[in-house]
Amino acid sequence: MNALFSKQKIPFLPYLLIAPAFILIVVFKIYPILSTILESIHIKGSWTLSVYAKLIQDSTFWNSLWITIKINLVMIPLQIFISFIMALLVNATVKGIGVFRTIFYLPFTLSLTVATVLWNIMLNPNSGVINSILSVFGIPQQGFLIDKNQALWCIVVIASWKGCAYWMMFLLAGLKNIDTSIYESAKIDGSNWLNTVVRITLPLIKRVLLFVFVANTTANILLFVPMQMITNGGPQGSTNVLMYEAYKSAFKFADRPRSAAIVTVLLLLIVLVCLLQFRLLNEKDEDTAVKRR
Amino acid sequence: MKKLISCMLVFLLTAAILAGCGSGGSSSSAAPPANTSDSSVADGGAEAGDDGAITFLAINWWESGAQPVIDKYIADTGIEVKTEYYSFNDLLEIIEVKIASGSSDYDVISVDVPMVAAYANRGYLASMDEYFTAEEKAGWLPSALTAGSWQDTLYAPPMNNSSQLLWYNIDLLAEAGVTVRESSAENRLTYEEVEEYAKAALDVIDPDRNKGYCGIAFQQVSRTYQMCDMPNSKGEKNIGSDGFTVDGVINTDGWVKAMTWYQNLYNNGTALRGYTADECSPNFNAGKTLFMIGGTYTLNSIQDVNFGFAHVPAFKGYEDKVGTPTGSWHFGINKASTQYDKAADFIKYLTIGEGNDLWIEANNDVPTTLRAIEAIGNDPNADPVFKIAAYEALKTAVPRAVTPGYSEYSSILDAAFEDIRNGVEVKEALDSAVKQIDTAFEKYKS
Repeated sequence: MNALFSKQKIPFLPYLLIAPAFILIVVFKIYPILSTILESIHIKGSWTLSVYAKLIQDSTFWNSLWITIKINLVMIPLQIFISFIMALLVNATVKGIGVFRTIFYLPFTLSLTVATVLWNIMLNPNSGVINSILSVFGIPQQGFLIDKNQALWCIVVIASWKGCAYWMMFLLAGLKNIDTSIYESAKIDGSNWLNTVVRITLPLIKRVLLFVFVANTTANILLFVPMQMITNGGPQGSTNVLMYEAYKSAFKFADRPRSAAIVTVLLLLIVLVCLLQFRLLNEKDEDTAVKRR
Repeated sequence: MKKLISCMLVFLLTAAILAGCGSGGSSSSAAPPANTSDSSVADGGAEAGDDGAITFLAINWWESGAQPVIDKYIADTGIEVKTEYYSFNDLLEIIEVKIASGSSDYDVISVDVPMVAAYANRGYLASMDEYFTAEEKAGWLPSALTAGSWQDTLYAPPMNNSSQLLWYNIDLLAEAGVTVRESSAENRLTYEEVEEYAKAALDVIDPDRNKGYCGIAFQQVSRTYQMCDMPNSKGEKNIGSDGFTVDGVINTDGWVKAMTWYQNLYNNGTALRGYTADECSPNFNAGKTLFMIGGTYTLNSIQDVNFGFAHVPAFKGYEDKVGTPTGSWHFGINKASTQYDKAADFIKYLTIGEGNDLWIEANNDVPTTLRAIEAIGNDPNADPVFKIAAYEALKTAVPRAVTPGYSEYSSILDAAFEDIRNGVEVKEALDSAVKQIDTAFEKYKS
């Protein structure tokens, strides 16, 4: 039986094994991407870049692009930082730490839709609990989601409250993989906490960090739910991210080529950011350097 | 052995994928949207195209009131009607996804009146001119017929109408020592008077403006249906006669003055920022709102409030220019339908036939037929709320902008109204909306 199924008899066995996953990726990822790109350049039977030309001249598009970049420039590092701190905290070996891990993870168990509704109620300028708490400290009523200077950052809070719990678990897994004897050696050598974290912990979880950065980038650049449910891109277009603009184009304005073009731009943005992250965080050069020695 | 198991697993997975991708294939009438709690299917017959059954795409607000009307049609005609009910947002998305793709799953589509021109322009609806005589068309309110047509062709006959009144909390006003004067269609309250009443009452019941009382609320706040009423009441239009021009139409002095008055309500604390259209009626029912401009359907939801009502106010000096919101739901034939005649017959039943009378009565709606409107006006025993509604529908109704780009128009203008409410300089907000709408309309002109 083993001889029948040896590698020499079935050389294509590895490809057979990865075929189902590959088919799923092609059908649900590659095909929609190609279809979207085609939809943006093949209009009414002819190939044209007119949609992109109009997009470049559209100030709403540039505003949405800027808002998307702005929110992610803040949200991505903020979430990674908070997740990392949370992971360090719950990595402690103290009694009952599991309870805290559970509490920290709980926000992720809510769907983003439910979390958005909850935060909208709490941030209500007239009857929300946040303004009630602020009034105790003499702080005047805030607009939050109806204030053009605060709405975007309120959405950052909502997304981070939920998202950090998720990324914390990945970073925690990375921390757990570090041999504790390395920390002991560092302690013996007189390394303080900050030095240990920066020079030992971070380099050793680089691969995990890379994954978290890439996945977090994708998730945040495509963030859409709070905009659609609460702000509708306002106030004054201050939360009109590209993803919401794409949604409006397809489902409100029935302008699918424009929506496809915007989504293509989003895809390019994600690829660029991820390539940059790979370049900065990839360990390939270090491995090559080690091998050469 | 491990390799044998691996191969078997691979085979099973592949077979499962192929089975999942290859099932059925052709369009079915299975409900598509994700939110199944907001949708239901009333079994009135077979799938679209099978055994002559027609499929009706409807909104879920009607389910309890409309189904008996539909069942009567089935019993009287023998034509099977399968109705699918969806929430408002799901309905619009289904139309944009399924109808736009040329699906014949639905024969009769519910059309929100401002979308008639858009759907007709996009080729979603079939012309219904051949199914209605000139006399039948003349039986509708002119505003309703206009709203259901595009480029002089009838695409979606009106089923019901809407109108608004000024509702107020008698007990809350009495507590503050404020009495609203008698008014009539010829001697309306003015917006300025209502503002004074509201301020005077708030000064007594909520002098610091921190108890959450709202002096004046607009039921569908920041939506074009509700907000355009104010500039219309200064004699202004909603869009140019070509269906595309907005510059010099929605940023005129009249628009700026109307919206400035509206913004001042929020600036001086007479109205509250932050609450949504969905929260407005519950706030009124909870006794937290003094005055609310809202639809006749408010009557269905008022429970514990001692309420009064009056005609929608006029602006001082513009008493002869009152404009009130109007329009509701129309029905159209899906252009891809294979059963035009049956679909048209069903639509006629619902819009000018016995079905329309039954529907209006069951749903407490404002009718669109002139005979029904006049009957309310002439009936001394008719509900006074509907007498006012019938008057407004006949005399002061201003249809929303009739344009194939209504989605873009309303989306951009809704955002502008919300910005104005939140303090953005009125002319700046309107000019910005004009610029965005002009950009969005370019695709209709090329």
